[in-house]
Amino acid sequence: MRFILLILSIGILSAQPEFPVLQKYANDFTGTISSSNLNSFENQLKRFDDTTSNQIVFLMNSSMDGYPIEMYTYEVASKNKIGSKENNNGVLFYVAKNDRKMRIEVGYGLEGALPDALASSIIRNDVAPYFKRDNYAAGVQAGINSIISATKGEYKREDRQSDDDESGGAFWIYLIFLLIFFIFGKGNRGGLLGAVILGNTLGGGRSSGGFSSGGFGGFTGGGGSFGGGGASGGW
Amino acid sequence: MKNKGLLIGCGVGAVLVVIIIGIVMWGVGIYNDLVRIDESVTQSWSQVENQYQRRFDLIPNLVNTVKGVAEFEKETFTAVTEARSKVGQINAGEVLNDPAKFEQFQAAQGELSSALSRLMVVVENYPQLKANENFLQLQAQLEGTENRISVERMKFTQRVQEYNTRIRQFPANIIAGVAGFTVKPNFSAQPGADQAPKVEF
Repeated sequence: MRFILLILSIGILSAQPEFPVLQKYANDFTGTISSSNLNSFENQLKRFDDTTSNQIVFLMNSSMDGYPIEMYTYEVASKNKIGSKENNNGVLFYVAKNDRKMRIEVGYGLEGALPDALASSIIRNDVAPYFKRDNYAAGVQAGINSIISATKGEYKREDRQSDDDESGGAFWIYLIFLLIFFIFGKGNRGGLLGAVILGNTLGGGRSSGGFSSGGFGGFTGGGGSFGGGGASGGW
Repeated sequence: MKNKGLLIGCGVGAVLVVIIIGIVMWGVGIYNDLVRIDESVTQSWSQVENQYQRRFDLIPNLVNTVKGVAEFEKETFTAVTEARSKVGQINAGEVLNDPAKFEQFQAAQGELSSALSRLMVVVENYPQLKANENFLQLQAQLEGTENRISVERMKFTQRVQEYNTRIRQFPANIIAGVAGFTVKPNFSAQPGADQAPKVEF
């Protein structure tokens, strides 16, 4: 009985599609868009992230295996944490090529700049006409351009750099202080306590002080969350 | 002899004080945690409310746009308008702490959902609307709002589950009982799906 239940639960689990982990701004898992086009999208989106902190990610794959598109893009966008934690300024532009469906999923912080009606209009009037003529690269380019021009005035990148420096500096001062404590601590007790705290600091420092997104190439989510905003369409 | 007794008494007293302080601190910790979870439930409920309100505000515009083209569908419009006014009568602020009102709220919103979806089906018969940019934008807004509602409901459901589990688990339930944290109502899986929506013509 328990065995049957186990098999059943595995069946239910695998009924959920696998949500892709995105490591780039421009992702095409169908091989439709040429790599030179894809590279130019990648650079355009990365530059946009660098200057505005808005993270726009493009994803095209073949199918959602019958999953509803609104749930699918919500899961992909949330799992990849597109957008920053403070501003929730992420957008996922998703195309399911064989399902002939697409969606622009908009993070909480960009719902004002890119409302549903505008997202829907971008899909219907800017992207779909190209897709109907099988010109995917041009359609995606048009979509990206429209999303960028809608969202470019919303945020500016300036705080992240200084923020990192500040917490990084505090971390180093703390570490030096602890090192002194560790070395000059009296006897076994002080040394041991120092070592424990030092270990904790090093361990904790690595995860919190560290290297946030926007560094070297590739896409890293900034912790943005989504509330189901955006629009869907087909062609 | 006397001195020794006093010393032991003091020792026992000190230990007792430490234990009591420990228990109080522990209780305060649990209490603060409960307050935090309670607050997160309230917050996610206000998100749910916001999205329902957004839908509520969208309807007059939508009905007016559709009315101009599909004037023969009186019953469908009436159903939407009636369901909307029923929703409007509920004071959403009191819903969260009153299971009966919560039930009522859920039923009324479910009725409005099904009236709206019938309207959108009827609309499919009017190609003029499909070419009307104003209507298409309203349709996108309605779809977006329905989707936001389902996302915020999902988040709310998770928070309430977390809260309800927390206040019934062993040590926390004592604190919850004393401080008056009660089980909160939650959405059932599908709104209005358990009962056929009543539509009066």
